[in-house]
Amino acid sequence: MIRKDEVAGRLKLNEALAVAALADFLRDGVENAGCTGLVLGLSGGVDSALAAALAVRAIGTERVHAFFLPYRSSEPQSAVDAGAVAAKLGLKLTSIDITPQVDIYFDRVDPQADRVRRGNKMARERMTILFDQSKKLGALVTGTSNKSEILLGYSTVFGDNASSLNPIGDLYKQQVWQLARHLGIPEQVVTKRPSADLWPGQTSEGELGFEYAMADEVLYLMFDQGLTADEVVDRGYPEAVVARIVHLERANRFKRRLMLIARLSGSAINLDREIPRD
Amino acid sequence: MQERRSKIKVGLAQIDARLGDLEFNLAHHLEWIGQARAEGVELLLFPELSLTGYRLLHLTPRVAIHPETSPIIARLREAAPGMAVVVGCVEEDDNGALYNSALLLEGGEISHVHRKLYLPTYGIFQEGRFFSEGRKLRMAKLFGNPFGVLICEDFWHSDPAEKLARHGAKLIGIVSASPGRIGPDEMPPSQEAWESLTRASALLNTAWIVYCGRVGWEEGTFYTGGSHIVRPGGELLARAPYLEEHLLTAEIDLREADRLRWRLPILADERSDIEWVE
Repeated sequence: MIRKDEVAGRLKLNEALAVAALADFLRDGVENAGCTGLVLGLSGGVDSALAAALAVRAIGTERVHAFFLPYRSSEPQSAVDAGAVAAKLGLKLTSIDITPQVDIYFDRVDPQADRVRRGNKMARERMTILFDQSKKLGALVTGTSNKSEILLGYSTVFGDNASSLNPIGDLYKQQVWQLARHLGIPEQVVTKRPSADLWPGQTSEGELGFEYAMADEVLYLMFDQGLTADEVVDRGYPEAVVARIVHLERANRFKRRLMLIARLSGSAINLDREIPRD
Repeated sequence: MQERRSKIKVGLAQIDARLGDLEFNLAHHLEWIGQARAEGVELLLFPELSLTGYRLLHLTPRVAIHPETSPIIARLREAAPGMAVVVGCVEEDDNGALYNSALLLEGGEISHVHRKLYLPTYGIFQEGRFFSEGRKLRMAKLFGNPFGVLICEDFWHSDPAEKLARHGAKLIGIVSASPGRIGPDEMPPSQEAWESLTRASALLNTAWIVYCGRVGWEEGTFYTGGSHIVRPGGELLARAPYLEEHLLTAEIDLREADRLRWRLPILADERSDIEWVE
Protein backbone atom coordinates (compact mmCIF):
# COMPACT_ATOMS: atom_id res chain seq x y z
CA MET A 1 0.00 0.00 0.00
CA ILE A 2 1.68 3.17 -1.19
CA ARG A 3 0.70 6.35 0.60
CA LYS A 4 0.40 9.64 -1.26
CA ASP A 5 3.28 11.17 0.66
CA GLU A 6 5.61 8.36 -0.41
CA VAL A 7 5.11 8.74 -4.14
CA ALA A 8 7.41 11.69 -4.79
CA GLY A 9 10.25 9.87 -3.01
CA ARG A 10 9.77 6.82 -5.17
CA LEU A 11 10.13 8.94 -8.28
CA LYS A 12 13.58 10.16 -7.23
CA LEU A 13 16.48 8.71 -9.15
CA ASN A 14 20.04 8.00 -8.21
CA GLU A 15 21.47 10.65 -10.49
CA ALA A 16 24.92 9.21 -11.06
CA LEU A 17 23.59 5.79 -12.02
CA ALA A 18 20.76 7.11 -14.16
CA VAL A 19 23.04 9.45 -16.10
CA ALA A 20 25.68 6.76 -16.59
CA ALA A 21 23.12 4.25 -17.83
CA LEU A 22 21.39 6.67 -20.20
CA ALA A 23 24.65 7.93 -21.67
CA ASP A 24 25.66 4.32 -22.18
CA PHE A 25 22.34 3.70 -23.97
CA LEU A 26 23.12 6.45 -26.48
CA ARG A 27 26.72 5.37 -26.97
CA ASP A 28 25.61 1.79 -27.55
CA GLY A 29 22.87 2.90 -29.94
CA VAL A 30 25.26 4.93 -32.08
CA GLU A 31 27.80 2.10 -32.13
CA ASN A 32 25.26 -0.59 -33.00
CA ALA A 33 23.81 1.44 -35.83
CA GLY A 34 27.30 2.09 -37.22
CA CYS A 35 26.58 5.82 -37.11
CA THR A 36 28.93 8.68 -36.41
CA GLY A 37 26.85 10.75 -34.02
CA LEU A 38 23.53 12.07 -32.82
CA VAL A 39 21.17 14.73 -34.15
CA LEU A 40 18.64 16.53 -32.01
CA GLY A 41 16.43 19.57 -31.90
CA LEU A 42 17.02 22.01 -29.07
CA SER A 43 13.79 23.87 -28.36
CA GLY A 44 14.92 25.84 -25.36
CA GLY A 45 12.96 23.47 -23.12
CA VAL A 46 14.23 21.15 -20.45
CA ASP A 47 13.53 17.83 -22.21
CA SER A 48 15.71 18.52 -25.23
CA ALA A 49 18.31 20.14 -22.96
CA LEU A 50 18.58 16.96 -20.90
CA ALA A 51 18.69 14.76 -24.01
CA ALA A 52 21.49 16.96 -25.38
CA ALA A 53 23.43 16.82 -22.12
CA LEU A 54 23.18 13.02 -22.10
CA ALA A 55 24.27 12.89 -25.74
CA VAL A 56 27.33 15.00 -24.95
CA ARG A 57 28.15 12.71 -22.03
CA ALA A 58 27.80 9.72 -24.30
CA ILE A 59 29.85 10.73 -27.32
CA GLY A 60 31.28 14.23 -26.78
CA THR A 61 30.37 17.60 -28.24
CA GLU A 62 31.95 17.10 -31.67
CA ARG A 63 29.56 14.31 -32.64
CA VAL A 64 26.34 15.87 -31.33
CA HIS A 65 24.55 18.02 -33.89
CA ALA A 66 22.04 20.44 -32.35
CA PHE A 67 19.37 22.31 -34.34
CA PHE A 68 17.11 25.16 -33.31
CA LEU A 69 14.03 25.15 -35.55
CA PRO A 70 11.84 28.21 -34.85
CA TYR A 71 8.55 29.25 -36.44
CA ARG A 72 7.67 32.91 -36.80
CA SER A 73 5.41 32.79 -33.73
CA SER A 74 7.95 31.01 -31.48
CA GLU A 75 8.60 32.79 -28.18
CA PRO A 76 11.77 34.91 -28.41
CA GLN A 77 12.80 33.44 -25.06
CA SER A 78 13.02 29.98 -26.69
CA ALA A 79 15.92 31.12 -28.84
CA VAL A 80 17.65 32.63 -25.82
CA ASP A 81 17.22 29.42 -23.81
CA ALA A 82 18.27 27.08 -26.62
CA GLY A 83 21.36 29.24 -27.04
CA ALA A 84 22.08 29.08 -23.32
CA VAL A 85 21.83 25.29 -23.31
CA ALA A 86 24.09 24.97 -26.36
CA ALA A 87 26.62 27.34 -24.79
CA LYS A 88 26.57 25.46 -21.51
CA LEU A 89 27.16 22.13 -23.29
CA GLY A 90 29.70 23.52 -25.76
CA LEU A 91 27.50 22.65 -28.74
CA LYS A 92 27.35 24.47 -32.04
CA LEU A 93 23.68 25.35 -32.62
CA THR A 94 22.39 25.52 -36.19
CA SER A 95 19.20 27.53 -36.64
CA ILE A 96 16.75 26.80 -39.47
CA ASP A 97 13.52 28.80 -39.72
CA ILE A 98 10.62 26.48 -40.56
CA THR A 99 8.15 29.28 -41.28
CA PRO A 100 8.26 29.16 -45.10
CA GLN A 101 7.70 25.43 -45.41
CA VAL A 102 4.82 25.44 -42.91
CA ASP A 103 3.11 28.54 -44.28
CA ILE A 104 3.33 27.60 -47.93
CA TYR A 105 1.30 24.46 -47.32
CA PHE A 106 -1.50 26.12 -45.37
CA ASP A 107 -1.55 29.22 -47.63
CA ARG A 108 -2.00 27.05 -50.68
CA VAL A 109 -4.10 24.22 -49.33
CA ASP A 110 -6.08 25.33 -46.32
CA PRO A 111 -5.70 28.89 -45.00
CA GLN A 112 -8.47 28.24 -42.45
CA ALA A 113 -6.54 25.48 -40.66
CA ASP A 114 -6.71 25.80 -36.87
CA ARG A 115 -3.74 26.20 -34.57
CA VAL A 116 -3.62 22.55 -33.55
CA ARG A 117 -3.20 21.45 -37.16
CA ARG A 118 -0.60 24.14 -37.66
CA GLY A 119 1.17 23.05 -34.50
CA ASN A 120 1.21 19.44 -35.63
CA LYS A 121 2.61 20.48 -38.99
CA MET A 122 5.40 22.42 -37.27
CA ALA A 123 6.31 19.40 -35.15
CA ARG A 124 6.42 17.18 -38.24
CA GLU A 125 8.38 19.67 -40.31
CA ARG A 126 10.94 19.85 -37.55
CA MET A 127 11.25 16.09 -37.51
CA THR A 128 11.64 15.86 -41.30
CA ILE A 129 14.50 18.34 -41.02
CA LEU A 130 16.15 16.35 -38.24
CA PHE A 131 15.84 13.10 -40.19
CA ASP A 132 17.19 14.75 -43.33
CA GLN A 133 20.15 16.12 -41.36
CA SER A 134 20.67 12.71 -39.79
CA LYS A 135 21.05 11.21 -43.25
CA LYS A 136 23.47 13.92 -44.28
CA LEU A 137 25.53 13.60 -41.12
CA GLY A 138 25.35 9.83 -40.70
CA ALA A 139 23.84 10.37 -37.27
CA LEU A 140 20.80 9.12 -35.39
CA VAL A 141 17.86 11.30 -34.39
CA THR A 142 17.62 11.49 -30.62
CA GLY A 143 14.13 11.58 -29.15
CA THR A 144 13.27 14.22 -26.60
CA SER A 145 9.81 13.11 -25.39
CA ASN A 146 9.44 12.21 -21.73
CA LYS A 147 7.32 9.46 -20.16
CA SER A 148 4.65 11.85 -18.89
CA GLU A 149 3.87 13.33 -22.28
CA ILE A 150 4.18 9.99 -24.07
CA LEU A 151 1.62 8.44 -21.70
CA LEU A 152 -0.67 11.43 -21.95
CA GLY A 153 -0.32 11.55 -25.72
CA TYR A 154 0.81 15.17 -25.49
CA SER A 155 2.79 14.90 -28.68
CA THR A 156 2.41 14.91 -32.44
CA VAL A 157 2.44 11.47 -33.98
CA PHE A 158 5.40 11.22 -36.40
CA GLY A 159 6.39 14.66 -35.16
CA ASP A 160 8.14 15.23 -31.86
CA ASN A 161 7.42 11.64 -30.85
CA ALA A 162 9.37 10.24 -33.80
CA SER A 163 13.02 9.40 -33.25
CA SER A 164 15.58 6.67 -33.67
CA LEU A 165 16.31 6.35 -29.99
CA ASN A 166 15.01 8.15 -26.97
CA PRO A 167 17.05 8.35 -23.78
CA ILE A 168 14.41 10.14 -21.71
CA GLY A 169 11.22 8.29 -22.70
CA ASP A 170 11.12 6.37 -19.39
CA LEU A 171 11.59 9.51 -17.28
CA TYR A 172 8.61 11.32 -15.81
CA LYS A 173 8.75 15.10 -16.09
CA GLN A 174 9.96 15.56 -12.52
CA GLN A 175 12.71 13.04 -13.14
CA VAL A 176 13.70 15.10 -16.19
CA TRP A 177 13.89 18.15 -13.94
CA GLN A 178 15.99 16.25 -11.40
CA LEU A 179 18.54 14.97 -13.91
CA ALA A 180 18.65 18.29 -15.77
CA ARG A 181 19.57 20.09 -12.55
CA HIS A 182 22.15 17.43 -11.78
CA LEU A 183 23.77 17.98 -15.19
CA GLY A 184 23.87 21.75 -14.75
CA ILE A 185 21.22 22.76 -17.29
CA PRO A 186 20.66 26.53 -16.81
CA GLU A 187 18.09 27.10 -14.06
CA GLN A 188 15.95 29.36 -16.28
CA VAL A 189 15.39 26.34 -18.56
CA VAL A 190 14.61 23.94 -15.72
CA THR A 191 12.15 26.22 -13.96
CA LYS A 192 10.23 27.73 -16.86
CA ARG A 193 6.67 26.61 -17.55
CA PRO A 194 6.68 23.60 -19.89
CA SER A 195 5.47 24.51 -23.35
CA ALA A 196 5.38 23.04 -26.83
CA ASP A 197 5.66 26.66 -28.04
CA LEU A 198 3.41 25.97 -31.01
CA TRP A 199 1.39 29.18 -30.54
CA PRO A 200 1.91 32.28 -28.41
CA GLY A 201 1.19 31.78 -24.72
CA GLN A 202 0.75 28.02 -24.99
CA THR A 203 1.69 26.07 -21.87
CA SER A 204 1.54 22.31 -21.51
CA GLU A 205 -0.05 22.38 -18.10
CA GLY A 206 -2.62 24.94 -19.26
CA GLU A 207 -3.60 22.74 -22.16
CA LEU A 208 -3.59 19.50 -20.21
CA GLY A 209 -5.55 21.00 -17.31
CA PHE A 210 -3.27 19.81 -14.51
CA GLU A 211 0.29 20.15 -13.31
CA TYR A 212 2.99 17.67 -14.21
CA ALA A 213 4.02 17.21 -10.59
CA MET A 214 0.60 15.73 -9.86
CA ALA A 215 0.18 13.98 -13.20
CA ASP A 216 3.47 12.16 -12.71
CA GLU A 217 2.29 10.77 -9.40
CA VAL A 218 -1.06 9.67 -10.81
CA LEU A 219 0.61 8.07 -13.83
CA TYR A 220 3.17 6.35 -11.60
CA LEU A 221 0.45 4.86 -9.42
CA MET A 222 -1.62 3.67 -12.38
CA PHE A 223 0.95 2.75 -15.01
CA ASP A 224 3.91 1.62 -12.88
CA GLN A 225 2.07 0.31 -9.82
CA GLY A 226 -1.15 -0.92 -11.44
CA LEU A 227 -3.62 0.91 -9.21
CA THR A 228 -7.15 1.58 -10.46
CA ALA A 229 -8.48 5.12 -10.86
CA ASP A 230 -10.61 4.68 -7.73
CA GLU A 231 -7.62 3.57 -5.71
CA VAL A 232 -5.72 6.65 -6.88
CA VAL A 233 -8.59 8.97 -5.96
CA ASP A 234 -8.80 7.27 -2.53
CA ARG A 235 -5.24 8.41 -1.89
CA GLY A 236 -6.31 12.03 -2.16
CA TYR A 237 -5.83 12.97 -5.82
CA PRO A 238 -8.63 15.07 -7.37
CA GLU A 239 -11.19 12.90 -9.12
CA ALA A 240 -11.52 15.18 -12.15
CA VAL A 241 -7.76 15.16 -12.76
CA VAL A 242 -7.54 11.39 -12.44
CA ALA A 243 -10.48 10.96 -14.83
CA ARG A 244 -8.85 13.28 -17.37
CA ILE A 245 -5.53 11.42 -17.15
CA VAL A 246 -7.29 8.07 -17.57
CA HIS A 247 -9.04 9.43 -20.66
CA LEU A 248 -5.87 10.87 -22.23
CA GLU A 249 -3.86 7.72 -21.60
CA ARG A 250 -6.55 5.54 -23.21
CA ALA A 251 -7.24 7.85 -26.14
CA ASN A 252 -3.60 8.20 -27.12
CA ARG A 253 -2.44 4.60 -27.04
CA PHE A 254 -2.30 4.57 -30.83
CA LYS A 255 0.59 7.01 -30.68
CA ARG A 256 2.68 4.57 -28.69
CA ARG A 257 2.30 1.53 -30.94
CA LEU A 258 3.49 2.70 -34.31
CA MET A 259 3.77 0.53 -37.42
CA LEU A 260 0.54 -1.35 -36.80
CA ILE A 261 0.64 -3.86 -39.63
CA ALA A 262 -2.30 -5.95 -40.83
CA ARG A 263 -1.12 -9.54 -40.59
CA LEU A 264 -1.97 -11.93 -43.40
CA SER A 265 1.08 -14.11 -43.92
CA GLY A 266 1.82 -15.76 -40.59
CA SER A 267 5.25 -14.16 -40.73
CA ALA A 268 4.38 -10.51 -40.20
CA ILE A 269 7.04 -7.99 -39.20
CA ASN A 270 7.09 -7.33 -35.45
CA LEU A 271 4.23 -9.76 -34.82
CA ASP A 272 5.41 -13.21 -35.92
CA ARG A 273 8.99 -12.12 -36.47
CA GLU A 274 10.35 -10.10 -33.60
CA ILE A 275 13.91 -9.47 -34.70
CA PRO A 276 15.74 -7.30 -32.19
CA ARG A 277 17.18 -4.16 -33.76
CA ASP A 278 20.42 -4.39 -31.78
CA MET B 1 39.52 -38.69 -10.01
CA GLN B 2 41.20 -35.39 -9.47
CA GLU B 3 42.57 -34.50 -6.11
CA ARG B 4 39.99 -32.55 -4.18
CA ARG B 5 41.18 -29.12 -3.16
CA SER B 6 39.29 -26.63 -1.12
CA LYS B 7 40.88 -23.33 -2.08
CA ILE B 8 39.78 -21.99 -5.43
CA LYS B 9 40.50 -18.68 -7.12
CA VAL B 10 37.18 -17.62 -8.62
CA GLY B 11 36.71 -15.04 -11.37
CA LEU B 12 33.47 -13.45 -12.51
CA ALA B 13 33.67 -12.04 -16.04
CA GLN B 14 31.04 -9.31 -15.97
CA ILE B 15 30.95 -8.56 -19.68
CA ASP B 16 28.69 -7.15 -22.38
CA ALA B 17 27.66 -9.26 -25.36
CA ARG B 18 26.88 -8.39 -28.96
CA LEU B 19 23.41 -9.70 -29.69
CA GLY B 20 23.41 -12.66 -32.08
CA ASP B 21 27.11 -12.42 -32.97
CA LEU B 22 28.80 -15.66 -31.89
CA GLU B 23 32.17 -14.93 -33.48
CA PHE B 24 32.46 -11.50 -31.91
CA ASN B 25 31.44 -12.83 -28.51
CA LEU B 26 33.83 -15.77 -28.79
CA ALA B 27 36.73 -13.37 -29.38
CA HIS B 28 35.59 -11.35 -26.38
CA HIS B 29 35.51 -14.50 -24.23
CA LEU B 30 39.00 -15.44 -25.33
CA GLU B 31 40.33 -12.03 -24.29
CA TRP B 32 38.76 -12.32 -20.86
CA ILE B 33 39.98 -15.89 -20.41
CA GLY B 34 43.48 -14.59 -21.14
CA GLN B 35 43.11 -11.83 -18.58
CA ALA B 36 41.72 -14.26 -16.00
CA ARG B 37 44.59 -16.66 -16.60
CA ALA B 38 47.05 -13.84 -16.00
CA GLU B 39 45.37 -13.26 -12.66
CA GLY B 40 45.57 -16.92 -11.70
CA VAL B 41 41.83 -17.60 -11.90
CA GLU B 42 40.89 -21.29 -11.67
CA LEU B 43 37.11 -21.03 -12.04
CA LEU B 44 35.84 -18.36 -14.43
CA LEU B 45 32.13 -17.65 -14.86
CA PHE B 46 30.60 -15.79 -17.79
CA PRO B 47 27.00 -14.48 -17.67
CA GLU B 48 23.85 -16.17 -18.94
CA LEU B 49 23.79 -16.57 -22.74
CA SER B 50 27.22 -14.96 -22.78
CA LEU B 51 28.03 -16.23 -26.27
CA THR B 52 24.85 -14.96 -27.90
CA GLY B 53 23.41 -12.09 -25.89
CA TYR B 54 20.12 -12.41 -24.09
CA ARG B 55 17.20 -10.72 -25.85
CA LEU B 56 17.32 -12.85 -28.98
CA LEU B 57 13.60 -13.36 -29.67
CA HIS B 58 13.30 -14.84 -33.17
CA LEU B 59 17.08 -14.85 -33.57
CA THR B 60 17.25 -17.66 -30.99
CA PRO B 61 17.40 -20.62 -33.44
CA ARG B 62 19.94 -18.81 -35.62
CA VAL B 63 22.57 -18.90 -32.88
CA ALA B 64 21.80 -22.38 -31.52
CA ILE B 65 24.71 -24.82 -31.28
CA HIS B 66 25.32 -28.47 -30.49
CA PRO B 67 28.01 -27.99 -27.84
CA GLU B 68 29.84 -31.29 -28.39
CA THR B 69 30.45 -30.57 -32.07
CA SER B 70 30.42 -26.76 -32.09
CA PRO B 71 33.64 -25.18 -33.41
CA ILE B 72 32.94 -22.16 -31.17
CA ILE B 73 32.94 -24.35 -28.07
CA ALA B 74 35.95 -26.28 -29.37
CA ARG B 75 37.95 -23.04 -29.44
CA LEU B 76 36.92 -22.23 -25.90
CA ARG B 77 37.83 -25.74 -24.77
CA GLU B 78 41.30 -25.34 -26.25
CA ALA B 79 41.70 -21.86 -24.84
CA ALA B 80 41.19 -22.78 -21.22
CA PRO B 81 43.33 -25.76 -20.26
CA GLY B 82 43.72 -25.94 -16.52
CA MET B 83 40.91 -23.46 -15.96
CA ALA B 84 37.27 -24.31 -15.38
CA VAL B 85 35.03 -21.98 -17.38
CA VAL B 86 31.25 -21.56 -17.36
CA VAL B 87 29.80 -20.07 -20.56
CA GLY B 88 26.23 -19.49 -21.66
CA CYS B 89 24.79 -20.54 -25.01
CA VAL B 90 21.65 -21.54 -26.89
CA GLU B 91 21.88 -25.33 -26.91
CA GLU B 92 20.03 -27.41 -29.49
CA ASP B 93 19.37 -31.05 -28.73
CA ASP B 94 18.93 -33.89 -31.22
CA ASN B 95 15.19 -33.31 -31.36
CA GLY B 96 15.54 -29.65 -32.31
CA ALA B 97 14.58 -28.38 -28.86
CA LEU B 98 16.43 -25.23 -27.76
CA TYR B 99 17.68 -24.65 -24.24
CA ASN B 100 19.13 -21.70 -22.38
CA SER B 101 22.21 -23.58 -21.16
CA ALA B 102 25.35 -23.08 -19.14
CA LEU B 103 28.33 -25.28 -20.00
CA LEU B 104 31.19 -26.07 -17.66
CA LEU B 105 34.39 -26.53 -19.63
CA GLU B 106 37.28 -28.16 -17.84
CA GLY B 107 40.43 -29.88 -19.05
CA GLY B 108 39.36 -29.51 -22.68
CA GLU B 109 36.04 -31.25 -22.03
CA ILE B 110 32.46 -30.18 -21.49
CA SER B 111 32.19 -31.60 -18.01
CA HIS B 112 28.69 -30.38 -17.22
CA VAL B 113 25.65 -28.93 -18.96
CA HIS B 114 22.90 -27.16 -17.05
CA ARG B 115 19.70 -26.37 -18.92
CA LYS B 116 17.77 -23.50 -17.36
CA LEU B 117 14.91 -24.95 -15.34
CA TYR B 118 12.69 -21.91 -14.93
CA LEU B 119 12.02 -19.81 -18.01
CA PRO B 120 10.57 -16.42 -17.08
CA THR B 121 7.68 -15.57 -19.39
CA TYR B 122 6.11 -12.52 -17.81
CA GLY B 123 6.70 -8.80 -17.83
CA ILE B 124 9.46 -8.15 -20.36
CA PHE B 125 10.57 -11.79 -20.33
CA GLN B 126 9.66 -14.09 -23.21
CA GLU B 127 11.88 -17.11 -22.67
CA GLY B 128 9.03 -19.65 -22.65
CA ARG B 129 8.25 -18.72 -26.26
CA PHE B 130 11.72 -19.52 -27.54
CA PHE B 131 13.25 -22.12 -25.20
CA SER B 132 12.33 -25.52 -23.77
CA GLU B 133 12.60 -25.99 -20.04
CA GLY B 134 15.43 -28.00 -18.59
CA ARG B 135 14.09 -30.95 -16.63
CA LYS B 136 17.13 -32.20 -14.77
CA LEU B 137 19.30 -30.89 -12.01
CA ARG B 138 22.69 -32.53 -11.62
CA MET B 139 25.79 -31.83 -9.65
CA ALA B 140 28.86 -30.57 -11.48
CA LYS B 141 32.36 -31.41 -10.27
CA LEU B 142 34.98 -28.75 -9.74
CA PHE B 143 38.48 -29.96 -8.89
CA GLY B 144 36.88 -32.95 -7.19
CA ASN B 145 34.28 -30.91 -5.30
CA PRO B 146 30.53 -30.90 -5.80
CA PHE B 147 29.61 -27.65 -7.56
CA GLY B 148 26.19 -26.26 -8.37
CA VAL B 149 25.42 -24.25 -11.52
CA LEU B 150 22.14 -22.36 -11.89
CA ILE B 151 20.90 -19.79 -14.37
CA CYS B 152 19.18 -16.58 -13.26
CA GLU B 153 15.48 -17.42 -12.72
CA ASP B 154 16.43 -20.86 -11.33
CA PHE B 155 17.58 -18.93 -8.29
CA TRP B 156 14.25 -17.13 -7.83
CA HIS B 157 12.88 -20.48 -6.70
CA SER B 158 14.47 -21.77 -3.53
CA ASP B 159 14.33 -25.45 -4.42
CA PRO B 160 17.21 -25.86 -6.92
CA ALA B 161 19.88 -24.21 -4.74
CA GLU B 162 18.58 -26.08 -1.72
CA LYS B 163 18.73 -29.42 -3.57
CA LEU B 164 22.29 -28.71 -4.65
CA ALA B 165 23.33 -27.82 -1.11
CA ARG B 166 21.63 -30.86 0.35
CA HIS B 167 23.49 -33.04 -2.12
CA GLY B 168 26.81 -31.62 -1.07
CA ALA B 169 27.46 -28.39 -2.98
CA LYS B 170 29.41 -25.89 -0.91
CA LEU B 171 29.72 -23.56 -3.88
CA ILE B 172 26.85 -22.53 -6.11
CA GLY B 173 27.42 -20.36 -9.18
CA ILE B 174 24.58 -18.32 -10.64
CA VAL B 175 24.96 -16.85 -14.08
CA SER B 176 22.51 -14.18 -15.09
CA ALA B 177 21.36 -11.61 -17.65
CA SER B 178 18.97 -9.74 -15.47
CA PRO B 179 17.51 -6.46 -16.76
CA GLY B 180 18.27 -3.64 -14.36
CA ARG B 181 16.22 -0.84 -12.87
CA ILE B 182 17.37 2.39 -11.29
CA GLY B 183 15.73 3.95 -8.26
CA PRO B 184 16.64 6.51 -5.61
CA ASP B 185 19.47 4.61 -3.95
CA GLU B 186 23.08 3.87 -4.77
CA MET B 187 22.23 0.21 -5.15
CA PRO B 188 19.83 -0.35 -8.06
CA PRO B 189 16.57 -1.99 -6.92
CA SER B 190 17.25 -4.92 -9.23
CA GLN B 191 20.51 -5.58 -7.37
CA GLU B 192 18.87 -5.17 -3.96
CA ALA B 193 16.68 -8.07 -4.93
CA TRP B 194 19.62 -10.14 -6.13
CA GLU B 195 21.72 -9.53 -3.05
CA SER B 196 18.78 -10.34 -0.78
CA LEU B 197 18.47 -13.68 -2.56
CA THR B 198 22.16 -14.56 -2.70
CA ARG B 199 22.78 -13.59 0.93
CA ALA B 200 19.71 -15.47 2.18
CA SER B 201 20.69 -18.52 0.16
CA ALA B 202 24.26 -18.41 1.47
CA LEU B 203 22.82 -18.39 4.97
CA LEU B 204 20.09 -21.00 4.57
CA ASN B 205 22.23 -23.31 2.46
CA THR B 206 25.43 -22.56 4.40
CA ALA B 207 27.31 -22.40 1.09
CA TRP B 208 29.36 -20.01 -1.03
CA ILE B 209 27.21 -18.19 -3.57
CA VAL B 210 28.83 -16.50 -6.55
CA TYR B 211 26.66 -14.41 -8.85
CA CYS B 212 27.88 -13.37 -12.30
CA GLY B 213 25.75 -10.74 -14.02
CA ARG B 214 26.34 -8.83 -17.22
CA VAL B 215 26.35 -5.23 -18.42
CA GLY B 216 25.41 -3.38 -21.60
CA TRP B 217 22.20 -2.45 -23.40
CA GLU B 218 19.97 -4.59 -25.58
CA GLU B 219 16.98 -2.97 -27.28
CA GLY B 220 16.12 -0.53 -24.54
CA THR B 221 16.99 -2.70 -21.54
CA PHE B 222 20.24 -2.55 -19.63
CA TYR B 223 21.99 -5.05 -17.41
CA THR B 224 23.24 -3.80 -14.08
CA GLY B 225 26.43 -5.69 -13.36
CA GLY B 226 27.09 -5.80 -9.63
CA SER B 227 28.39 -9.37 -9.78
CA HIS B 228 29.28 -10.55 -6.31
CA ILE B 229 30.57 -13.27 -4.03
CA VAL B 230 28.86 -14.16 -0.77
CA ARG B 231 30.46 -16.18 2.02
CA PRO B 232 28.70 -19.12 3.63
CA GLY B 233 26.44 -17.41 6.17
CA GLY B 234 25.60 -14.44 3.98
CA GLU B 235 28.43 -11.92 4.31
CA LEU B 236 29.32 -10.12 1.10
CA LEU B 237 32.96 -10.77 0.21
CA ALA B 238 33.31 -8.75 -3.00
CA ARG B 239 31.19 -6.87 -5.51
CA ALA B 240 31.94 -5.66 -9.03
CA PRO B 241 30.94 -2.11 -10.04
CA TYR B 242 27.64 -1.38 -11.73
CA LEU B 243 27.24 -0.71 -15.46
CA GLU B 244 30.79 -1.52 -16.57
CA GLU B 245 32.70 -4.57 -17.67
CA HIS B 246 34.80 -5.96 -14.86
CA LEU B 247 36.69 -9.07 -13.83
CA LEU B 248 35.96 -9.72 -10.17
CA THR B 249 38.29 -12.22 -8.55
CA ALA B 250 38.61 -13.69 -5.09
CA GLU B 251 40.06 -16.76 -3.47
CA ILE B 252 37.44 -18.81 -1.72
CA ASP B 253 37.91 -21.72 0.68
CA LEU B 254 35.24 -24.40 0.60
CA ARG B 255 36.25 -25.41 4.12
CA GLU B 256 34.63 -22.19 5.28
CA ALA B 257 31.27 -23.81 4.50
CA ASP B 258 32.22 -26.83 6.59
CA ARG B 259 33.28 -24.65 9.50
CA LEU B 260 29.94 -22.84 9.36
CA ARG B 261 28.03 -26.11 9.11
CA TRP B 262 29.71 -27.39 12.29
CA ARG B 263 28.23 -24.57 14.30
CA LEU B 264 25.09 -24.01 12.22
CA PRO B 265 23.95 -27.50 11.15
CA ILE B 266 20.67 -26.38 9.60
CA LEU B 267 21.22 -28.34 6.38
CA ALA B 268 21.83 -31.53 8.31
CA ASP B 269 18.75 -30.82 10.42
CA GLU B 270 16.52 -30.47 7.37
CA ARG B 271 13.46 -32.74 7.61
CA SER B 272 11.20 -34.19 4.95
CA ASP B 273 8.87 -35.99 7.35
CA ILE B 274 6.83 -33.02 8.54
CA GLU B 275 3.19 -33.81 8.05
CA TRP B 276 0.91 -31.17 6.58
CA VAL B 277 -2.40 -31.00 8.45
CA GLU B 278 -5.42 -29.43 6.71
